[in-house]
Amino acid sequence: MIWLRLVGTSKGYFVKTNSPILVIGMLLLAGCQNIQPWERGILAKPEMQLEVSKLGGQLRQQVYFANEASTGGSGVAGAGCGCN
Amino acid sequence: MKIKSKSSHLLALTSAALSMPAFSAAQPVETEISVRTSLYKEENVPADNIIFGDDVRYDIDIHQFSLLTPVGEKWSLGFNAARESMSGASPWGTVADADGAATLIMSGATISESRKEFSLSTQRYFNKSSLGIEVSRSKENDYEADAIVLSTEWDSDNKLSTLTLGMSYSKDKITPTDAILFGRVLEKEKTSQSYSLGWTQILDKTSVLQSGIRVTKHSGYLTDPYKLRDARPDERLEWSVNFRYRKFIESTNAALHTNYRYYEDSYKVRSHTVETAWYQNIAGNFQLAPNLRYYSQRKASFYLPIDDYTLPLTTNQSSDYRLSTFGAFTVGLKAIYNQPTWAVSFSVENYKSRGKYSLTNAETEHPALLSFSLASIGFDFRF
Repeated sequence: MIWLRLVGTSKGYFVKTNSPILVIGMLLLAGCQNIQPWERGILAKPEMQLEVSKLGGQLRQQVYFANEASTGGSGVAGAGCGCN
Repeated sequence: MKIKSKSSHLLALTSAALSMPAFSAAQPVETEISVRTSLYKEENVPADNIIFGDDVRYDIDIHQFSLLTPVGEKWSLGFNAARESMSGASPWGTVADADGAATLIMSGATISESRKEFSLSTQRYFNKSSLGIEVSRSKENDYEADAIVLSTEWDSDNKLSTLTLGMSYSKDKITPTDAILFGRVLEKEKTSQSYSLGWTQILDKTSVLQSGIRVTKHSGYLTDPYKLRDARPDERLEWSVNFRYRKFIESTNAALHTNYRYYEDSYKVRSHTVETAWYQNIAGNFQLAPNLRYYSQRKASFYLPIDDYTLPLTTNQSSDYRLSTFGAFTVGLKAIYNQPTWAVSFSVENYKSRGKYSLTNAETEHPALLSFSLASIGFDFRF
Protein backbone atom coordinates (compact mmCIF):
# COMPACT_ATOMS: atom_id res chain seq x y z
CA MET A 1 0.00 0.00 0.00
CA ILE A 2 1.47 3.37 -1.05
CA TRP A 3 1.07 6.12 1.56
CA LEU A 4 1.80 9.81 1.87
CA ARG A 5 1.76 11.49 5.32
CA LEU A 6 2.30 14.93 6.78
CA VAL A 7 4.54 14.53 9.84
CA GLY A 8 5.00 17.32 12.40
CA THR A 9 8.37 17.61 14.20
CA SER A 10 10.10 20.25 16.30
CA LYS A 11 11.80 21.49 13.09
CA GLY A 12 8.54 21.86 11.20
CA TYR A 13 6.29 19.73 9.00
CA PHE A 14 7.58 17.09 6.55
CA VAL A 15 5.90 14.90 3.95
CA LYS A 16 6.79 11.22 4.29
CA THR A 17 6.06 8.41 1.84
CA ASN A 18 7.03 4.75 1.39
CA SER A 19 7.06 4.94 -2.44
CA PRO A 20 10.24 5.89 -4.36
CA ILE A 21 8.15 6.24 -7.54
CA LEU A 22 5.97 8.86 -5.81
CA VAL A 23 9.09 10.75 -4.69
CA ILE A 24 10.53 10.68 -8.24
CA GLY A 25 7.18 11.86 -9.60
CA MET A 26 6.97 14.73 -7.14
CA LEU A 27 10.55 15.81 -7.89
CA LEU A 28 9.80 15.78 -11.63
CA LEU A 29 6.70 17.88 -11.12
CA ALA A 30 8.61 20.31 -8.90
CA GLY A 31 11.32 20.63 -11.54
CA CYS A 32 8.93 21.36 -14.41
CA GLN A 33 8.96 24.73 -16.11
CA ASN A 34 5.83 26.61 -17.07
CA ILE A 35 5.91 26.26 -20.88
CA GLN A 36 3.44 28.39 -22.81
CA PRO A 37 1.63 26.79 -25.79
CA TRP A 38 3.61 28.88 -28.31
CA GLU A 39 6.85 27.57 -26.79
CA ARG A 40 6.04 23.94 -27.60
CA GLY A 41 7.06 23.86 -31.24
CA ILE A 42 9.93 21.43 -30.65
CA LEU A 43 7.68 19.13 -28.65
CA ALA A 44 5.25 19.04 -31.59
CA LYS A 45 7.86 17.72 -34.04
CA PRO A 46 7.02 14.23 -35.40
CA GLU A 47 10.26 12.77 -34.03
CA MET A 48 9.39 13.98 -30.51
CA GLN A 49 6.15 11.99 -30.27
CA LEU A 50 5.94 9.04 -27.89
CA GLU A 51 5.09 6.82 -30.89
CA VAL A 52 6.56 8.20 -34.13
CA SER A 53 4.70 5.62 -36.25
CA LYS A 54 1.43 4.27 -34.88
CA LEU A 55 1.35 1.29 -37.25
CA GLY A 56 5.04 0.57 -36.75
CA GLY A 57 4.58 0.65 -32.97
CA GLN A 58 1.60 -1.72 -33.15
CA LEU A 59 3.52 -4.18 -35.29
CA ARG A 60 6.62 -4.19 -33.11
CA GLN A 61 4.49 -4.69 -30.00
CA GLN A 62 2.79 -7.68 -31.61
CA VAL A 63 6.05 -9.21 -32.86
CA TYR A 64 7.61 -9.04 -29.39
CA PHE A 65 4.40 -10.30 -27.76
CA ALA A 66 4.52 -13.34 -30.07
CA ASN A 67 8.14 -14.18 -29.21
CA GLU A 68 8.60 -13.17 -25.57
CA ALA A 69 6.70 -13.79 -22.34
CA SER A 70 6.18 -10.12 -21.50
CA THR A 71 3.53 -7.64 -22.57
CA GLY A 72 2.65 -4.07 -21.74
CA GLY A 73 4.34 -0.75 -22.18
CA SER A 74 1.83 1.53 -23.82
CA GLY A 75 -1.81 1.53 -22.81
CA VAL A 76 -4.12 -1.41 -22.25
CA ALA A 77 -4.17 -4.66 -24.18
CA GLY A 78 -6.31 -4.88 -27.32
CA ALA A 79 -7.57 -7.96 -29.14
CA GLY A 80 -5.12 -10.84 -28.89
CA CYS A 81 -3.95 -13.30 -31.50
CA GLY A 82 -3.22 -17.00 -31.48
CA CYS A 83 0.50 -16.27 -31.70
CA ASN A 84 1.22 -16.64 -27.98
CA MET B 1 17.86 27.36 -48.97
CA LYS B 2 14.87 29.62 -48.53
CA ILE B 3 14.65 31.17 -45.09
CA LYS B 4 11.14 31.32 -43.67
CA SER B 5 9.86 34.60 -42.31
CA LYS B 6 9.67 34.80 -38.53
CA SER B 7 5.88 35.14 -38.50
CA SER B 8 5.23 32.09 -40.71
CA HIS B 9 7.73 30.10 -38.67
CA LEU B 10 5.98 31.08 -35.44
CA LEU B 11 2.58 30.33 -36.96
CA ALA B 12 3.77 26.89 -38.03
CA LEU B 13 5.16 26.17 -34.58
CA THR B 14 2.08 27.47 -32.80
CA SER B 15 -0.40 25.54 -34.91
CA ALA B 16 1.72 22.42 -34.58
CA ALA B 17 1.95 22.93 -30.84
CA LEU B 18 -1.77 23.42 -30.44
CA SER B 19 -2.43 20.10 -32.14
CA MET B 20 -0.06 18.16 -29.85
CA PRO B 21 -1.99 14.92 -30.23
CA ALA B 22 0.34 12.71 -28.26
CA PHE B 23 0.70 14.83 -25.15
CA SER B 24 -2.83 16.11 -24.53
CA ALA B 25 -6.48 15.31 -24.95
CA ALA B 26 -6.80 17.46 -28.09
CA GLN B 27 -8.89 16.70 -31.16
CA PRO B 28 -6.78 15.93 -34.27
CA VAL B 29 -6.74 18.94 -36.62
CA GLU B 30 -6.41 16.96 -39.84
CA THR B 31 -7.21 13.57 -41.34
CA GLU B 32 -4.36 11.08 -41.19
CA ILE B 33 -4.14 7.95 -43.34
CA SER B 34 -1.29 5.46 -42.97
CA VAL B 35 -0.48 2.29 -44.90
CA ARG B 36 2.36 -0.08 -44.14
CA THR B 37 3.69 -3.30 -45.62
CA SER B 38 6.15 -5.49 -43.72
CA LEU B 39 8.02 -8.72 -44.18
CA TYR B 40 8.87 -10.76 -41.08
CA LYS B 41 11.28 -13.67 -41.50
CA GLU B 42 12.54 -16.07 -38.84
CA GLU B 43 15.89 -17.81 -39.23
CA ASN B 44 15.74 -21.58 -39.73
CA VAL B 45 16.45 -23.83 -36.76
CA PRO B 46 19.90 -25.48 -37.01
CA ALA B 47 19.33 -29.04 -38.28
CA ASP B 48 21.39 -30.41 -35.36
CA ASN B 49 18.72 -29.12 -32.95
CA ILE B 50 15.88 -31.14 -34.53
CA ILE B 51 15.00 -34.79 -34.12
CA PHE B 52 11.73 -34.64 -36.07
CA GLY B 53 9.95 -32.13 -38.34
CA ASP B 54 10.93 -29.21 -40.51
CA ASP B 55 13.60 -26.60 -39.85
CA VAL B 56 11.91 -23.76 -41.80
CA ARG B 57 10.30 -21.32 -39.38
CA TYR B 58 7.75 -18.58 -39.93
CA ASP B 59 7.64 -16.06 -42.77
CA ILE B 60 4.85 -13.49 -42.41
CA ASP B 61 3.63 -10.80 -44.82
CA ILE B 62 1.85 -7.99 -42.99
CA HIS B 63 -0.33 -5.25 -44.48
CA GLN B 64 -1.72 -2.49 -42.23
CA PHE B 65 -4.06 0.45 -42.74
CA SER B 66 -5.01 3.25 -40.37
CA LEU B 67 -7.40 6.20 -40.63
CA LEU B 68 -7.95 8.93 -38.05
CA THR B 69 -10.18 11.89 -38.84
CA PRO B 70 -11.81 14.75 -36.93
CA VAL B 71 -15.61 14.79 -37.01
CA GLY B 72 -17.27 18.13 -36.25
CA GLU B 73 -15.61 20.15 -33.51
CA LYS B 74 -15.64 17.66 -30.67
CA TRP B 75 -15.27 14.15 -32.11
CA SER B 76 -12.82 11.97 -33.98
CA LEU B 77 -13.21 8.63 -35.71
CA GLY B 78 -10.57 5.96 -36.21
CA PHE B 79 -10.39 2.77 -38.28
CA ASN B 80 -7.60 0.20 -38.36
CA ALA B 81 -7.22 -2.93 -40.45
CA ALA B 82 -4.45 -5.51 -40.73
CA ARG B 83 -3.93 -8.69 -42.68
CA GLU B 84 -1.17 -11.22 -42.14
CA SER B 85 -0.28 -14.26 -44.28
CA MET B 86 2.06 -16.73 -42.63
CA SER B 87 3.68 -20.08 -43.29
CA GLY B 88 6.35 -22.18 -41.61
CA ALA B 89 7.02 -24.71 -38.90
CA SER B 90 6.83 -24.26 -35.13
CA PRO B 91 8.12 -26.28 -32.15
CA TRP B 92 5.79 -29.01 -30.87
CA GLY B 93 7.96 -30.10 -27.96
CA THR B 94 11.37 -31.26 -26.74
CA VAL B 95 12.94 -34.63 -25.96
CA ALA B 96 16.37 -35.59 -24.65
CA ASP B 97 18.99 -36.61 -27.20
CA ALA B 98 21.67 -39.30 -26.60
CA ASP B 99 23.65 -36.83 -24.45
CA GLY B 100 20.59 -35.80 -22.41
CA ALA B 101 20.38 -32.36 -24.06
CA ALA B 102 17.06 -30.96 -25.31
CA THR B 103 16.28 -31.53 -28.98
CA LEU B 104 13.25 -30.33 -30.90
CA ILE B 105 10.16 -31.96 -32.31
CA MET B 106 8.93 -29.52 -34.96
CA SER B 107 5.73 -29.39 -36.96
CA GLY B 108 5.83 -29.84 -40.74
CA ALA B 109 6.40 -26.69 -42.79
CA THR B 110 3.01 -26.93 -44.41
CA ILE B 111 1.25 -24.71 -41.88
CA SER B 112 -0.18 -21.84 -43.90
CA GLU B 113 -2.72 -19.46 -42.46
CA SER B 114 -3.84 -15.86 -42.30
CA ARG B 115 -5.08 -13.38 -39.72
CA LYS B 116 -7.36 -10.39 -40.20
CA GLU B 117 -7.92 -7.65 -37.65
CA PHE B 118 -10.28 -4.69 -37.68
CA SER B 119 -10.87 -1.98 -35.12
CA LEU B 120 -13.19 1.00 -34.97
CA SER B 121 -12.78 3.82 -32.47
CA THR B 122 -14.31 7.15 -31.60
CA GLN B 123 -13.26 9.86 -29.19
CA ARG B 124 -15.22 12.78 -27.69
CA TYR B 125 -13.21 15.87 -26.72
CA PHE B 126 -14.11 18.22 -23.91
CA ASN B 127 -12.42 21.40 -22.71
CA LYS B 128 -9.61 19.64 -20.83
CA SER B 129 -10.34 15.97 -21.31
CA SER B 130 -11.42 13.29 -23.74
CA LEU B 131 -13.30 10.02 -23.62
CA GLY B 132 -12.74 7.18 -26.12
CA ILE B 133 -14.09 3.77 -27.02
CA GLU B 134 -12.64 1.18 -29.39
CA VAL B 135 -13.93 -2.19 -30.50
CA SER B 136 -11.74 -4.69 -32.33
CA ARG B 137 -11.96 -8.16 -33.82
CA SER B 138 -9.15 -10.50 -34.81
CA LYS B 139 -9.84 -13.68 -36.79
CA GLU B 140 -7.67 -16.65 -37.80
CA ASN B 141 -8.82 -20.05 -39.00
CA ASP B 142 -8.28 -21.43 -35.47
CA TYR B 143 -8.50 -18.32 -33.28
CA GLU B 144 -10.99 -15.48 -32.77
CA ALA B 145 -10.67 -12.53 -30.41
CA ASP B 146 -13.05 -9.67 -29.67
CA ALA B 147 -12.04 -6.73 -27.52
CA ILE B 148 -13.42 -3.45 -26.23
CA VAL B 149 -11.25 -0.63 -24.92
CA LEU B 150 -12.38 2.40 -22.91
CA SER B 151 -9.98 5.27 -22.32
CA THR B 152 -9.96 8.78 -20.94
CA GLU B 153 -7.40 11.58 -20.82
CA TRP B 154 -7.32 14.58 -18.48
CA ASP B 155 -5.13 17.63 -19.08
CA SER B 156 -3.97 19.78 -16.21
CA ASP B 157 -1.49 22.55 -15.46
CA ASN B 158 -1.98 24.38 -18.79
CA LYS B 159 -1.66 21.07 -20.71
CA LEU B 160 1.77 20.38 -19.25
CA SER B 161 0.46 17.19 -17.66
CA THR B 162 -1.92 14.56 -18.98
CA LEU B 163 -3.41 11.71 -17.00
CA THR B 164 -4.52 8.69 -19.06
CA LEU B 165 -6.73 5.88 -17.83
CA GLY B 166 -7.62 2.82 -19.86
CA MET B 167 -9.43 -0.45 -19.43
CA SER B 168 -10.04 -3.28 -21.84
CA TYR B 169 -11.87 -6.59 -21.98
CA SER B 170 -11.11 -9.32 -24.50
CA LYS B 171 -12.76 -12.67 -25.17
CA ASP B 172 -10.80 -15.22 -27.21
CA LYS B 173 -11.89 -18.55 -28.65
CA ILE B 174 -9.48 -21.21 -29.90
CA THR B 175 -10.52 -24.13 -32.13
CA PRO B 176 -7.29 -26.03 -32.95
CA THR B 177 -6.91 -27.52 -36.42
CA ASP B 178 -6.67 -31.33 -36.77
CA ALA B 179 -7.98 -31.59 -33.20
CA ILE B 180 -9.34 -35.13 -33.49
CA LEU B 181 -6.35 -36.41 -35.50
CA PHE B 182 -3.85 -35.24 -32.88
CA GLY B 183 -6.03 -35.52 -29.74
CA ARG B 184 -6.15 -31.75 -29.18
CA VAL B 185 -8.93 -29.89 -27.40
CA LEU B 186 -11.85 -29.11 -29.71
CA GLU B 187 -12.74 -25.62 -28.48
CA LYS B 188 -11.61 -23.50 -25.54
CA GLU B 189 -12.01 -19.90 -24.39
CA LYS B 190 -10.12 -17.33 -22.41
CA THR B 191 -10.87 -13.81 -21.23
CA SER B 192 -8.53 -10.92 -20.45
CA GLN B 193 -9.06 -7.75 -18.46
CA SER B 194 -6.49 -4.97 -18.57
CA TYR B 195 -6.20 -1.67 -16.69
CA SER B 196 -3.67 1.07 -17.34
CA LEU B 197 -2.74 4.37 -15.74
CA GLY B 198 -0.37 6.81 -17.44
CA TRP B 199 1.06 10.22 -16.62
CA THR B 200 2.65 12.35 -19.35
CA GLN B 201 4.67 15.33 -18.18
CA ILE B 202 6.24 18.04 -20.31
CA LEU B 203 9.48 18.71 -18.46
CA ASP B 204 10.73 21.70 -20.46
CA LYS B 205 10.69 23.06 -24.03
CA THR B 206 12.66 20.08 -25.33
CA SER B 207 11.76 17.06 -23.20
CA VAL B 208 8.78 14.99 -22.12
CA LEU B 209 8.41 11.95 -19.89
CA GLN B 210 5.60 9.42 -19.77
CA SER B 211 5.30 6.89 -16.96
CA GLY B 212 2.66 4.23 -16.70
CA ILE B 213 1.54 1.06 -15.01
CA ARG B 214 -0.59 -1.74 -16.42
CA VAL B 215 -2.26 -4.71 -14.78
CA THR B 216 -3.74 -7.55 -16.85
CA LYS B 217 -5.54 -10.70 -15.78
CA HIS B 218 -6.05 -13.65 -18.15
CA SER B 219 -8.50 -16.41 -17.20
CA GLY B 220 -9.49 -19.63 -18.92
CA TYR B 221 -7.54 -21.87 -21.29
CA LEU B 222 -3.98 -20.52 -21.39
CA THR B 223 -2.28 -23.73 -22.53
CA ASP B 224 -0.79 -24.07 -26.02
CA PRO B 225 -2.94 -26.80 -27.66
CA TYR B 226 -0.36 -27.44 -30.40
CA LYS B 227 2.36 -28.54 -27.99
CA LEU B 228 2.68 -32.26 -27.33
CA ARG B 229 2.90 -31.79 -23.56
CA ASP B 230 1.80 -28.40 -22.24
CA ALA B 231 -0.28 -27.52 -19.19
CA ARG B 232 -0.43 -24.00 -17.79
CA PRO B 233 -2.34 -22.42 -14.90
CA ASP B 234 -5.81 -21.22 -15.88
CA GLU B 235 -5.10 -17.76 -14.50
CA ARG B 236 -2.27 -15.36 -15.22
CA LEU B 237 -1.86 -12.00 -13.52
CA GLU B 238 0.60 -9.62 -15.16
CA TRP B 239 1.79 -6.18 -14.19
CA SER B 240 4.27 -3.81 -15.75
CA VAL B 241 5.65 -0.33 -15.18
CA ASN B 242 7.13 1.67 -18.03
CA PHE B 243 8.83 4.97 -18.73
CA ARG B 244 9.21 6.75 -22.08
CA TYR B 245 11.48 9.78 -22.32
CA ARG B 246 11.93 12.08 -25.33
CA LYS B 247 14.62 14.76 -25.52
CA PHE B 248 15.39 17.07 -28.43
CA ILE B 249 19.03 18.08 -28.70
CA GLU B 250 19.10 21.38 -30.56
CA SER B 251 22.87 21.46 -31.05
CA THR B 252 22.73 18.30 -33.19
CA ASN B 253 19.13 18.73 -34.47
CA ALA B 254 18.19 15.26 -33.24
CA ALA B 255 15.72 13.60 -30.88
CA LEU B 256 16.71 10.96 -28.34
CA HIS B 257 14.13 8.29 -27.41
CA THR B 258 14.61 6.13 -24.33
CA ASN B 259 12.11 3.54 -23.04
CA TYR B 260 12.28 1.21 -20.07
CA ARG B 261 9.80 -1.46 -18.92
CA TYR B 262 9.80 -3.77 -15.95
CA TYR B 263 7.38 -6.73 -16.13
CA GLU B 264 6.43 -9.59 -13.84
CA ASP B 265 3.57 -12.06 -13.67
CA SER B 266 2.09 -14.90 -11.63
CA TYR B 267 4.06 -17.42 -13.76
CA LYS B 268 7.11 -15.91 -11.97
CA VAL B 269 8.42 -14.48 -15.24
CA ARG B 270 10.41 -11.27 -14.64
CA SER B 271 11.76 -9.10 -17.42
CA HIS B 272 13.57 -5.85 -18.19
CA THR B 273 13.32 -4.06 -21.53
CA VAL B 274 15.45 -1.06 -22.55
CA GLU B 275 15.05 0.68 -25.89
CA THR B 276 16.75 3.68 -27.35
CA ALA B 277 16.56 5.46 -30.71
CA TRP B 278 18.24 8.50 -32.19
CA TYR B 279 16.21 10.49 -34.77
CA GLN B 280 18.79 12.53 -36.65
CA ASN B 281 17.49 15.28 -38.94
CA ILE B 282 19.44 15.58 -42.17
CA ALA B 283 19.15 18.33 -44.76
CA GLY B 284 16.27 18.07 -47.22
CA ASN B 285 13.61 16.73 -44.81
CA PHE B 286 15.42 13.42 -44.40
CA GLN B 287 15.74 11.63 -41.08
CA LEU B 288 17.87 8.65 -40.15
CA ALA B 289 16.98 6.80 -36.96
CA PRO B 290 19.13 3.95 -35.63
CA ASN B 291 17.60 2.04 -32.72
CA LEU B 292 18.73 -0.55 -30.19
CA ARG B 293 16.64 -2.76 -27.87
CA TYR B 294 17.72 -5.09 -25.10
CA TYR B 295 15.40 -7.59 -23.43
CA SER B 296 16.07 -10.02 -20.60
CA GLN B 297 13.63 -12.45 -18.99
CA ARG B 298 13.66 -15.08 -16.26
CA LYS B 299 11.87 -18.39 -16.90
CA ALA B 300 8.36 -19.29 -15.74
CA SER B 301 8.15 -21.40 -12.59
CA PHE B 302 6.77 -24.44 -14.46
CA TYR B 303 9.12 -24.24 -17.46
CA LEU B 304 10.93 -27.50 -18.23
CA PRO B 305 13.70 -27.70 -20.86
CA ILE B 306 12.58 -31.27 -21.74
CA ASP B 307 8.94 -32.40 -21.71
CA ASP B 308 8.30 -34.77 -18.80
CA TYR B 309 5.80 -37.48 -19.81
CA THR B 310 5.90 -39.05 -16.34
CA LEU B 311 4.09 -36.08 -14.81
CA PRO B 312 0.28 -36.18 -14.61
CA LEU B 313 -1.53 -34.18 -17.32
CA THR B 314 -2.86 -31.89 -14.60
CA THR B 315 0.61 -30.86 -13.43
CA ASN B 316 1.75 -27.58 -14.93
CA GLN B 317 4.66 -27.83 -17.34
CA SER B 318 5.78 -26.26 -20.60
CA SER B 319 8.89 -26.44 -22.76
CA ASP B 320 7.84 -23.34 -24.72
CA TYR B 321 11.02 -21.39 -25.53
CA ARG B 322 9.11 -18.18 -24.82
CA LEU B 323 8.85 -19.19 -21.17
CA SER B 324 12.58 -20.02 -20.83
CA THR B 325 15.37 -17.80 -19.50
CA PHE B 326 16.88 -15.76 -22.31
CA GLY B 327 17.92 -12.33 -23.46
CA ALA B 328 17.65 -10.64 -26.84
CA PHE B 329 19.13 -7.74 -28.79
CA THR B 330 17.42 -5.85 -31.61
CA VAL B 331 19.38 -3.54 -33.89
CA GLY B 332 17.48 -1.43 -36.40
CA LEU B 333 17.68 1.49 -38.79
CA LYS B 334 14.88 3.66 -40.12
CA ALA B 335 14.97 6.25 -42.92
CA ILE B 336 12.17 8.83 -43.13
CA TYR B 337 11.39 11.46 -45.76
CA ASN B 338 8.94 14.09 -44.50
CA GLN B 339 6.83 16.53 -46.49
CA PRO B 340 4.08 18.80 -45.06
CA THR B 341 1.26 16.53 -46.25
CA TRP B 342 2.95 13.14 -46.61
CA ALA B 343 5.87 11.03 -45.43
CA VAL B 344 7.50 7.78 -46.44
CA SER B 345 9.63 5.54 -44.24
CA PHE B 346 11.77 2.40 -44.64
CA SER B 347 12.92 0.37 -41.68
CA VAL B 348 14.87 -2.83 -41.07
CA GLU B 349 15.42 -4.62 -37.78
CA ASN B 350 17.34 -7.70 -36.72
CA TYR B 351 16.51 -9.62 -33.54
CA LYS B 352 18.72 -12.27 -31.95
CA SER B 353 17.92 -14.16 -28.73
CA ARG B 354 20.30 -16.34 -26.70
CA GLY B 355 20.27 -17.90 -23.25
CA LYS B 356 23.57 -16.24 -22.37
CA TYR B 357 22.19 -12.76 -23.16
CA SER B 358 19.92 -12.97 -20.12
CA LEU B 359 20.71 -11.14 -16.89
CA THR B 360 19.74 -14.40 -15.13
CA ASN B 361 21.81 -17.58 -15.51
CA ALA B 362 20.02 -19.63 -18.19
CA GLU B 363 21.57 -23.00 -17.14
CA THR B 364 20.58 -24.57 -20.47
CA GLU B 365 19.66 -22.70 -23.64
CA HIS B 366 16.43 -23.64 -25.39
CA PRO B 367 17.21 -25.02 -28.88
CA ALA B 368 14.32 -23.08 -30.46
CA LEU B 369 15.40 -19.56 -29.38
CA LEU B 370 14.95 -17.52 -32.48
CA SER B 371 16.40 -14.78 -34.60
CA PHE B 372 14.28 -12.78 -37.02
CA SER B 373 14.42 -9.85 -39.38
CA LEU B 374 11.65 -7.34 -39.99
CA ALA B 375 11.56 -4.95 -42.95
CA SER B 376 8.83 -2.35 -43.52
CA ILE B 377 7.79 0.42 -45.86
CA GLY B 378 5.15 2.91 -44.75
CA PHE B 379 3.33 5.93 -46.18
CA ASP B 380 1.52 8.61 -44.16
CA PHE B 381 -0.85 11.20 -45.62
CA ARG B 382 -2.32 14.25 -43.87
CA PHE B 383 -4.99 16.58 -45.27
